[in-house]
Amino acid sequence: MSTFSPEQWQALSPYLDQALAMTDDDRNAWLSLLGEQNPALAAQLRALLDEHRVLAQEGFLEKGPVALPSGPGLAGQTIGPYRLISQIGQGGMGSVWLAERSDGRFDRRVAVKFLSVALMGKGGEERFKREGSILGRLAHPHIAELVDAGISATGQPYLVLEYVEGDHIDRYCDDHMVDVEGRVRLFLDVLVAVAHAHSNLIVHRDLKPSNVLVSKDGQVKLLDFGIAKLLEGEGQAGEATLLTIEGGRAMTPEYAAPEQVRGEPVTTATDVYALGVLLYVLLTGQHPAGAGPHTPAALVKAIMDTEPTRPSAMVAPMGSSPEATTTNAARRATTPDKLQHLLRGDLDTIVAKALKKNPQERYGSVTALADDLGRYLRNEPISARPDTLAYRAAKFVRRNRTAVALAVLAVIAAVAGLVGTLMQARTARAQRDFAFQQLERAEAVNDLNSFLLSDAAPSGKPFTVNELLERARHIVERQHGNDASRVQLLISIGQQYNTQDEDAKARPVIEEAYRISRGLADRSTRAQASCALGSALSRADDPKRAEALIQEGLRELPNEPQYALDRVFCLLRGSVVARNTGEVQEGIARVQAAQRALKETPFDPEMLRLRVFIDLAEAYREAAQLPEAIHAFEQASAQLSALGRDDTETAGTLFNNWALALLQIGRPLEAERLFRRAIEISRADQSEQGVSPMLLNNYASTLDDLARLDEASGYAERAYARARQAGDEVVTNQSLLTRARIYRDQHDFARGLAMLDEVEPRLRKDLPPGHYAFGSLLSERSLLELERGDLPSALRLATQAVDAMEAATKAGKAGSNFLPAVYLRRAKVELQAGRPDVAATDVALALHLLQKDLPSPTLSSKSGRAYLLLARVLMAQGKTDEARAAARTAVEHLQSTLGPDHPDTRSARQLAEADTQQK
Amino acid sequence: MGSTISSLIVAAERGDVRAAEALFTALYSELHRLAKRELARHGAAVSLSATTLLHEAYLDMAGRDGPAFPDRARFMGYAARVMRGLIIDHARERHAQKRGGLFKITSLDTEAMENAVDHRELVQISEALDELGKMEPALAEVVDLKFFCGFSFGEIAAMRDVSERTVQRNWEKARIYLHRKIRADLSL
Repeated sequence: MSTFSPEQWQALSPYLDQALAMTDDDRNAWLSLLGEQNPALAAQLRALLDEHRVLAQEGFLEKGPVALPSGPGLAGQTIGPYRLISQIGQGGMGSVWLAERSDGRFDRRVAVKFLSVALMGKGGEERFKREGSILGRLAHPHIAELVDAGISATGQPYLVLEYVEGDHIDRYCDDHMVDVEGRVRLFLDVLVAVAHAHSNLIVHRDLKPSNVLVSKDGQVKLLDFGIAKLLEGEGQAGEATLLTIEGGRAMTPEYAAPEQVRGEPVTTATDVYALGVLLYVLLTGQHPAGAGPHTPAALVKAIMDTEPTRPSAMVAPMGSSPEATTTNAARRATTPDKLQHLLRGDLDTIVAKALKKNPQERYGSVTALADDLGRYLRNEPISARPDTLAYRAAKFVRRNRTAVALAVLAVIAAVAGLVGTLMQARTARAQRDFAFQQLERAEAVNDLNSFLLSDAAPSGKPFTVNELLERARHIVERQHGNDASRVQLLISIGQQYNTQDEDAKARPVIEEAYRISRGLADRSTRAQASCALGSALSRADDPKRAEALIQEGLRELPNEPQYALDRVFCLLRGSVVARNTGEVQEGIARVQAAQRALKETPFDPEMLRLRVFIDLAEAYREAAQLPEAIHAFEQASAQLSALGRDDTETAGTLFNNWALALLQIGRPLEAERLFRRAIEISRADQSEQGVSPMLLNNYASTLDDLARLDEASGYAERAYARARQAGDEVVTNQSLLTRARIYRDQHDFARGLAMLDEVEPRLRKDLPPGHYAFGSLLSERSLLELERGDLPSALRLATQAVDAMEAATKAGKAGSNFLPAVYLRRAKVELQAGRPDVAATDVALALHLLQKDLPSPTLSSKSGRAYLLLARVLMAQGKTDEARAAARTAVEHLQSTLGPDHPDTRSARQLAEADTQQK
Repeated sequence: MGSTISSLIVAAERGDVRAAEALFTALYSELHRLAKRELARHGAAVSLSATTLLHEAYLDMAGRDGPAFPDRARFMGYAARVMRGLIIDHARERHAQKRGGLFKITSLDTEAMENAVDHRELVQISEALDELGKMEPALAEVVDLKFFCGFSFGEIAAMRDVSERTVQRNWEKARIYLHRKIRADLSL
């Protein structure tokens, strides 16, 4: 119903008088009665009365505009030698007055700024005057001079400043339609002034357009330098946050840096940030947080959490209001398209670097920022590097760990992908009902998420996922109503705890979900609760009960399409349960069953399909069915691309695991590309701080395999340093072994040996005796002795290595992957020792092991190297024809897996050809 | 000045439109002058409540004008309407001062006024009130007195010599009208 005409109102008015005079009960009876006579009138009244309830609840018009202007009451008074003329401003800090010298000694107008007494920190007059005199020495043509500072007779602190007639820089630029280049040049003047202050150890702390004026002749003047600091108490420098600085009144922190919001020390980097916001506003006409208005809470959240939209994207012509975009561009003497083009690239990059959340990642100084802008103007390459999408995505995940983790809550398997595709589902009624039921659950989860986020955000305090989950649990416990949604929520929370490795907390939550679910008739909820608990128990080392619960869950589900998603949920968890008990084949079978079940659903749950591919690949990899694993990884990757998630951390993990499978099967050339992509995804800036040391070590090992030794040693050393720093024992040991191999390949035997000596005691401490790693260690030592020419030691060590590895393999399965390598290494030593016949046996054994599980045409660098060694052995035995054949096979394997120019490929080719020439 | 105001009130009550306009202008400048004087007396840091200001204004003018000056209730009725204009003008002015570029700054840093209601909304309320005032002047006046000037139901009831419940009912009715008007405007 829209608004009413005067006639309508006059018709309704007497009835409203009556209605408002009644009690609720009377009114209802009266309305029913009226409804019988005049239904239209009754309906209108009802609507208005309902509206009244709402507006009363909102408190509509209850908070009146009660305060009046603090008007011009001081005019004519004198402050020191200055007579106040008129008020020219009023802000959070106090009022500002135009004044002139009353003693007529100078013909000069000044601005007198009164600071609220309430804003003065501890330390009082003394400090105020002292600081004031320091600021007074800050002479620069682009900084408004501080002429004097003092305390008036009535005890009010004031500053006397150079009076600047000008406009806020952003308004000036807009009014004069200054183009992008002109804006950058003007901004550079601002930077020069701020840099000057910084060199005098004065930080502005409150840079914003109203403090950056441009006079009519285009001169920049900065106001209020260091004044924010004046307002701070002694001994609490840097402690005042922007939210407290205004005498307890909240100030809208539009230009505040994250560290200011957090109340951390304010440095020159804080000014760099504020300048970044200012530049952003000048270039785009928008605040980095997007179009306002913003509540302080929303701003704080944006400052802390949100990566700002790139300036070029902010001015994009396809925005919601094309007119505003056009006007905005016109104010920059251009069109939206051209403006976007101008900002894209260097300016995007420069602004992004100035706006980094972490002060250390910003420009190191205002001068560095100015230098880059200068380079931009001169069309030279700038120093800042653009954030890759990968970087931004990784950053997003890091910054928003909480939010992302909670978002995951909503994307729990059974409901994943449903919401987005419901509209397309042309399905039978039963399926639609089912879908709505699922949707309801998804919404319950979403509600919880948004509640938690909005409730937690205004405090501005960092919070951990665990804290949030804790609260979620309490909320769910208190919540009444739909038990099925409660079960879903509890499962979600429990799974979230699991992803946080808080298994001890996860278990009781899921147990609770299971307990509630027993009282429900709904099969899909019952099944999900069983399987979720099974999965949790499997992690808690109760495999029997875990398996029983999975079976129970699967039995619960009728073989009908509407339960397909629940079936997938149970089968995927069942797969993990099976694999945890070593039943790898059953694990694979269950994922495959999940894959089939997925095809029966009327929906297209894309995320879930991705999850199934990833699980399948992992299951195959665990079962050492590498070609199948690689195939599944390929499918998962394609699905990931289709979902536009190429640059997420999921993708990074996928690439790492996929590459490991490729490395294991002997395709390092392909592995290298994937590792590199994984590294790029998690790389922060130019540094590798965001990249896991394990990934660095994996990459180093691959580079070593590809004979890119210098790069390899660099990565391995960094992996080692980072693993040590993080206290990661496993990767420290792994990287020591990698380094030993690399140094050996570089013929730096002393260093190689040092690595082995360092790693051995560590391995003895961490690993049980008989672990296959000790076989690897012996094998490495044997090769080092071989290189040093100590054949007897090499041979002895090689044999010990084989013994150790065979024993480890017999005891468990873990060593079998490495068995071929130790045979081959012994063969190499035997060949050197002039025992080709013995060597031939070892090579044959190795080749058999390498190829027995692979489909015959599988090319592998491992097989290739075995053939190369075989060719050498055969040559030594004088079987040149056979040797040549072996060398040709080696070339075939090696050139596609290691590349045609790899030293091993070249050796194999030479062997094949040298033989031909001899013929 | 004082006598002008009392004669203008008499003329306006007789239905003289030009007198009503002149009364508005005179009251406006009178209130403005008073506000300035009060602030000068108390210093820049003080902010003044509209209620106090109106009381002061009444005392001031009635004192000067003698017994011919209209009674408090009638005066307040007019003055509250004027006060509304004063407040809206001030909000507008402050908004203009505070506009930083293209994005609007919502700020908690100064007067409670901007906190509670945006100046554009104030203008809307004012326009809707004028409409309502044409049909039911008593309702509009309650809003002026309560919302814009901060008088309580009790004060308003005493001023008009009616029961507090009546004032409250008028207020609720006026809120229904304004809410509907303003919400409809927003949804356009």
